[in-house]
Amino acid sequence: MSEAKKELEVKKGLDVKKVLRDVRDAGMDAWAKVMLRLTYSHRYQRLQGFIAKPSLLAIALFRKTTESAMSGVLARLNMPSRGDVLTLSQRMTHIEMVLDDVGAGFDQLRRSIPTTRPQRTPSHDRDIGTGPPHAFSAKEA
Amino acid sequence: MAAAQETSPGLLSRVSTMVGNLIKVTTTKSRIGQTPRQAIWTLNKATLYRYTPVKPPEERHRVPLLLVFALMNKSSILDLRPGNSFVEHMVQKGYDLYLLDWGVAGPEDVSMSLEDYVLDYIPRAVRKLKAVSGSETFNLLGWCIGAILSTLYASLRPSEGLKSLILLTAPLDFTDTEQISLARMTDERYFDVDRLLQAFGNMPAGLIDYGAKMLKPVENFVGGYVRLLDNLDNPKVVESWHAMNTWVNDAIPLAGGAYRQLILDFYRGNKLMKGTLTIRGEKVDLSDLRASLLNVIAQDDHITPPCQSARLLEKVGSTDKQELRVPGGHIGVMAGSAASKSTWPKVEAWIAAHSD
Repeated sequence: MSEAKKELEVKKGLDVKKVLRDVRDAGMDAWAKVMLRLTYSHRYQRLQGFIAKPSLLAIALFRKTTESAMSGVLARLNMPSRGDVLTLSQRMTHIEMVLDDVGAGFDQLRRSIPTTRPQRTPSHDRDIGTGPPHAFSAKEA
Repeated sequence: MAAAQETSPGLLSRVSTMVGNLIKVTTTKSRIGQTPRQAIWTLNKATLYRYTPVKPPEERHRVPLLLVFALMNKSSILDLRPGNSFVEHMVQKGYDLYLLDWGVAGPEDVSMSLEDYVLDYIPRAVRKLKAVSGSETFNLLGWCIGAILSTLYASLRPSEGLKSLILLTAPLDFTDTEQISLARMTDERYFDVDRLLQAFGNMPAGLIDYGAKMLKPVENFVGGYVRLLDNLDNPKVVESWHAMNTWVNDAIPLAGGAYRQLILDFYRGNKLMKGTLTIRGEKVDLSDLRASLLNVIAQDDHITPPCQSARLLEKVGSTDKQELRVPGGHIGVMAGSAASKSTWPKVEAWIAAHSD
């Protein structure tokens, strides 16, 4: 360290803020290490499992009870149950998949049929690069 | 007296900046994922996005790149904020870039499993990508659980045009469970996955977040805020902290079926490495993975420690394969402030060599 720098350090004296920050960081490091040892221990995992077990049982029970009560209410109101709606949603996804396959099949067929008209420009070439974004429809291809 | 008069206004403005920043980060969400893109395909909650190229077609790489992120966090981490976005970086480098976003699993997705993601969603997204890009080949980059899905896809569908596979912090090997803190957390002696799914259906976002944070409790629950307080008057640090905090606290639930499979087949069974994993009746054999492979390992990763992907290269059938060890943690390796210098250039250089 140069003489001038040393002189400057002496003139500045003790930086209380820096010392406090160093002490805090050292404390946090030590705390982090202790916590890490704790949370990595099998004893901690066992404790967590011990606490989770009854909580999860209670939540499952509550969920089952509310669901069956709600099903009863909905049935009395002649409305579809939660299960019905979920099944419907899964069927919709299945239909979406089939439509996607059909769309892709048609597209492949269209590309494989030779036409006298000028061939359809591939999407890649249609891309105008630096221009504004143009939206592709999900069913386009 | 004169000195006091000089410092008071400076101190006041500094304090008001700090208070303003504190209010901003605690009451608002940062705008993340800003790179322009278009949705080109959807299926259930999944969406395939194409990022708007900034270079003309003749200056772009010929082979498109598909990004696949994890199931329990939003993929916006790949496009965190302008100036610190892997997506933006790759678009500027001339890649035809696509992102498969899984969306947010709902109660109707409880039974969705890895099979669905690997054999129903990815192949269809790839088909759409090929139709839009006009390319018969593509590169695939998977990160975290996205790397598991990508590896399964690459092993099961090696002849669907996959040219190269890039895996980031891939949790594939569960041999050394003592080193894998998440494996200890989900040990069958202490953790009943079926009971949890019975209670919630899907794995709730809050529990995923809690589990991840408890791997380093002091750093995650206290350290981050201390770092923020230390830098409240530094707009650059505050902005970066705000963006990351917004993403971290925006976890999403993981479909029950997929979570159960991850715990039973991967964390407990280590079936992929043992060669006993079957996906919808098809045996997953890593030696069938023949695409060029780049395996990126984060040296300080506490979520996916290096031992979880270090043995991958010896298992795969690829002849062109490379391991890249980079400094950083599980997320920091790609989204940290140093990622643009330490990770992106190396990853991009490898992809560039496999994109024309």
